Amino acid sequence: MTTKTPTEPGQERLKQFLLAAAIPITAVLLAALIGAILLILSGADPIAAYSALIKGSFGSERAFGRTLEKATPLILGGLAVAFAFKGGLFNIGGQGQLLFGAIIAGALGFGISGLPFVIHMPLALLGGALAGALYATISGALKAFTGAHEVITTIMLNFIAINITDFLANGVWKDTSGIVARTPAILETAAIPRLGTNMPLGFFIAAFIAFLVWYLLFRTTLGFEIRTVGLNNHAAHYAGITVARITILTMGISGFLAGMGGAIETLGVVGRFQPGFNVGLGFDGITIALLARTNPLAVIPAAILIGAMQGGASQMQFDAKVSFEIIDVIQALILFFVSAEMIVRYILRIRADQGGSVTLSTGWGQG
Amino acid sequence: MSTLATTSKSSWRELLRYSGWIIAGLVVVASIIGYLSNAQVTTSMLASTLRQSTPLILGALCGLLCERTGVVNIGIEGQMLFSAFIGFLANVYTGNLVIAVAAAILAGMLVGGLHAFMAVYLKMDQIIAGTVINILALGLTGFFYTAGLTTEGKLQPINLGPLADLPLVGPVLFNNPPITYMAIILVFVMHYVLFFTQWGLRTRAVGEHPSAADTVGINVNRMRYINVIIAGGIAGLAGGFLTLEAVGSFERAMTNGRGFVALAVMIFGKWTPFGAWGAALLFGFASALQTQLQFIGTIEIPHQFIGMLPYVLTIVVLAGLVGRSRPPAAVGKPYETD
Amino acid sequence: MRKSIVLIFTLLLLVLISGVSMAQDCASPDVLCVGLVTDVGEVDDKSFNQSAWEGVQRAGEELGATVEFIETQDAKDYATNIGLFAENGYDVIVTVGFALGQATAEAAAAYPNINFIGVDQFQGATVANVAGLIFPEDRAGFLAGALAGMMTQSGTIAAVLGTDLVPPVVAFKEGYENGARYVNWDIELISTYHPGGLDVAFTDPEWGATTARQAIDLGADVVFGAGGKTGNGALIETAGAEGVLCIGVDTDQWETVPEAHSCLVSSAMKLIVPGVFELVQAHVDGAFPGGNYVGDVGLAPFHDFDANVPQEVKDRLAEIERLLIDGQISTGYNPGG
Repeated sequence: MTTKTPTEPGQERLKQFLLAAAIPITAVLLAALIGAILLILSGADPIAAYSALIKGSFGSERAFGRTLEKATPLILGGLAVAFAFKGGLFNIGGQGQLLFGAIIAGALGFGISGLPFVIHMPLALLGGALAGALYATISGALKAFTGAHEVITTIMLNFIAINITDFLANGVWKDTSGIVARTPAILETAAIPRLGTNMPLGFFIAAFIAFLVWYLLFRTTLGFEIRTVGLNNHAAHYAGITVARITILTMGISGFLAGMGGAIETLGVVGRFQPGFNVGLGFDGITIALLARTNPLAVIPAAILIGAMQGGASQMQFDAKVSFEIIDVIQALILFFVSAEMIVRYILRIRADQGGSVTLSTGWGQG
Repeated sequence: MSTLATTSKSSWRELLRYSGWIIAGLVVVASIIGYLSNAQVTTSMLASTLRQSTPLILGALCGLLCERTGVVNIGIEGQMLFSAFIGFLANVYTGNLVIAVAAAILAGMLVGGLHAFMAVYLKMDQIIAGTVINILALGLTGFFYTAGLTTEGKLQPINLGPLADLPLVGPVLFNNPPITYMAIILVFVMHYVLFFTQWGLRTRAVGEHPSAADTVGINVNRMRYINVIIAGGIAGLAGGFLTLEAVGSFERAMTNGRGFVALAVMIFGKWTPFGAWGAALLFGFASALQTQLQFIGTIEIPHQFIGMLPYVLTIVVLAGLVGRSRPPAAVGKPYETD
Repeated sequence: MRKSIVLIFTLLLLVLISGVSMAQDCASPDVLCVGLVTDVGEVDDKSFNQSAWEGVQRAGEELGATVEFIETQDAKDYATNIGLFAENGYDVIVTVGFALGQATAEAAAAYPNINFIGVDQFQGATVANVAGLIFPEDRAGFLAGALAGMMTQSGTIAAVLGTDLVPPVVAFKEGYENGARYVNWDIELISTYHPGGLDVAFTDPEWGATTARQAIDLGADVVFGAGGKTGNGALIETAGAEGVLCIGVDTDQWETVPEAHSCLVSSAMKLIVPGVFELVQAHVDGAFPGGNYVGDVGLAPFHDFDANVPQEVKDRLAEIERLLIDGQISTGYNPGG
């Protein structure tokens, strides 16, 4: 690596890109390797397990569709967390915002009839997203006006959201045709369809939103203000930015994204709101945002990766008799190796680039 | 030494301010109990309050020590879960509860060491480090747990003689199992160590102003390593509380968010041991109250609304009374020596 | 060093991509294959997933069936998991829990040649290839409540419950309370549901334990733990309290929670194991019953407490059970209203 050869700018850029891609790929392989050791220790066959995992996530058109379906709420949940990080806020409340999005989308989906698809579906989708936004705004406003730390309020609001949605699904909005606690099924006109037989349209909506978020953050004044507040809210204040307004907006938009994730789950996957069908998605969003280093566009491949692992887990259980918890272990290891660049760079003999590593926890310390 | 003196004074002031809150809280508690007006109800609720606050205050003390030294720790949940599992296994295979508690503490320290390695040595983002620990603990304990393992017993209450015969406070405070006592003692120890010892001064210096600390000859990274590992041991005790004292058995994901509530408790208490203790007791009390309200059963409120009580109360008190909280200045930033 | 690492990775990748296909003989008509899809959770949950799996295993032993299970991690995977068995030629698929009802009905329509057993799934309409294995849990609860009502000394009995989002839990609770009142009208009943969502309500033993303790401190001397591992936490906690009895749920918990031996007087059982087995047997006999199939419920043996339960209590329980079956008394549980 010591010899220097002059290169064309285009070639240089390609090389940069390949190097950037090499780190996550190596991280995944390292994680898989350690996962394989654990599998062998537990008496399972890692090759059978991994090939089943791949078969279950990319092996057929249906499997691929399932992977994209799993990736959809992860993209939006990841965007929600990433967006808040950019504004210096840690939104642990994605789960609660997602639940609100899911139930409100469901209520709009079954409660309104007579609308054509082109109005009903977007209405339910946006209604769900707005519900998430409003719910997150509680944390944003509390932070802006009383200084209450958003980590506490979002954690507490997660618990509260479970109780409220359970109450609604088992009470006023309960499907009275059975004894199961769930809302009635949404109408056909509110459902997010599939493209062809297997490709979920929701995924493409989510991916499009990722581009919008990227544009908002890096190409608009508001995005600049949000990032400025995220870097240093005192400096932002002296630069004439109303920090309270930005805080509330950041949380609101973050909740909008999480809420939309829940809405797509209801309208595109489950078909109604049912307690227990949206567990853990909000927390997965944190993993996705961190894997993507809060880059809105990188959220898409990160979500597909984790979505594939979740989508293929059943096949892995069936073919290789490996319990799904190994997926969690591998996820944690991937996150570790992607973030512990030092190790991967040592293996690949890549020197550190100028940018250095990300620090998300700076927002933690801003009062 | 002058800084030590001033900070000690200000910490006392902080304590005084909190004691005001604690007294105010006690008045509220007393009035609610007065409303329910029954000695048995009072005892059962206060005992439940203390019990439910124990894992929270231990978790919060872990987070507090980490953050005071400049390392964010959102992996408390994972640390608790992992050490609960290891403590349980030790109990299964040795049948000795002392060894099991030690194993839980060591497991917590091990995970703390991993956290310190990621945060200090690898200079990984600390939020990521904590998330890695949370997911890893969930996966590893789930993967290696096999059902059907049972233990002989769990830690039993130790009756502190005549103290336990006092009315009300006796059964609530002086007839508890060992980890509950340890948690209470640790609150005082942590306050003393942080604000009245040289180690505490250095810890806070490293958390507030690492480069200045470095200039006066404190080894920043070494301080962080040691504190994060000790903190891990405290989280380990919280895990041990769950499997060895409270339940006597392990289940997958049995922490059920208590580590995150502990995180909230730590921030709520403004990164001070007594503040965190007050917050943990408040939360424990609200939880006991919601159970009591369900027990009474005459109130025609859906139980989901009663169940929200601890969380709503936390937000209301936080927004209305506590307000802005400021973490240690250098928290979350790896220390770079240039 | 570096080259060798790259080589290892390349090899690993190649192996992964090449894939290994598993041979399954379930497609053959001579081979009986029974698959089980759990509700969210594990097959060793000491509760209904485990009981259903034991029923399937019994079919494996006695009928020579090939048996397999898939543990569901995410409720949205129900259809996927059922599909894995269906497409691999399984003859009978057992789905556990009311939450799988919809996925089961859809799969039954898509695979008319496969018989489905839906544990806890009430069938509104009869479909030839779906048997909903349901239980009158309120009856088991009523008997447990009557037992508790007759055994209590303090006049206060408690129930520590999973969540009212799950209909069988509500049935157990209502039956328990009404059974206790039936034998002892003045009895003090203190019951609580877990305050959290479905994902934690059955897996929070510490909450179960601390709640049981709070109830015991309030004077309860019988604790009914009905809520998976949450309920088990309540049983284990009660075992540490002097002179307090506990009652388990679903299976004979004498077998599943040995830590509770010192308090476990009985369990309100729903006999899932024989229910599942009988339905698989019916499939083999070509007499698979579509629609609802009502399984048995009852109290588990008293085990070590047999001497502590007076004969008149035993007689009264037998009497109540007879009256319940005859329909002369009602449990008072009415899910419609």
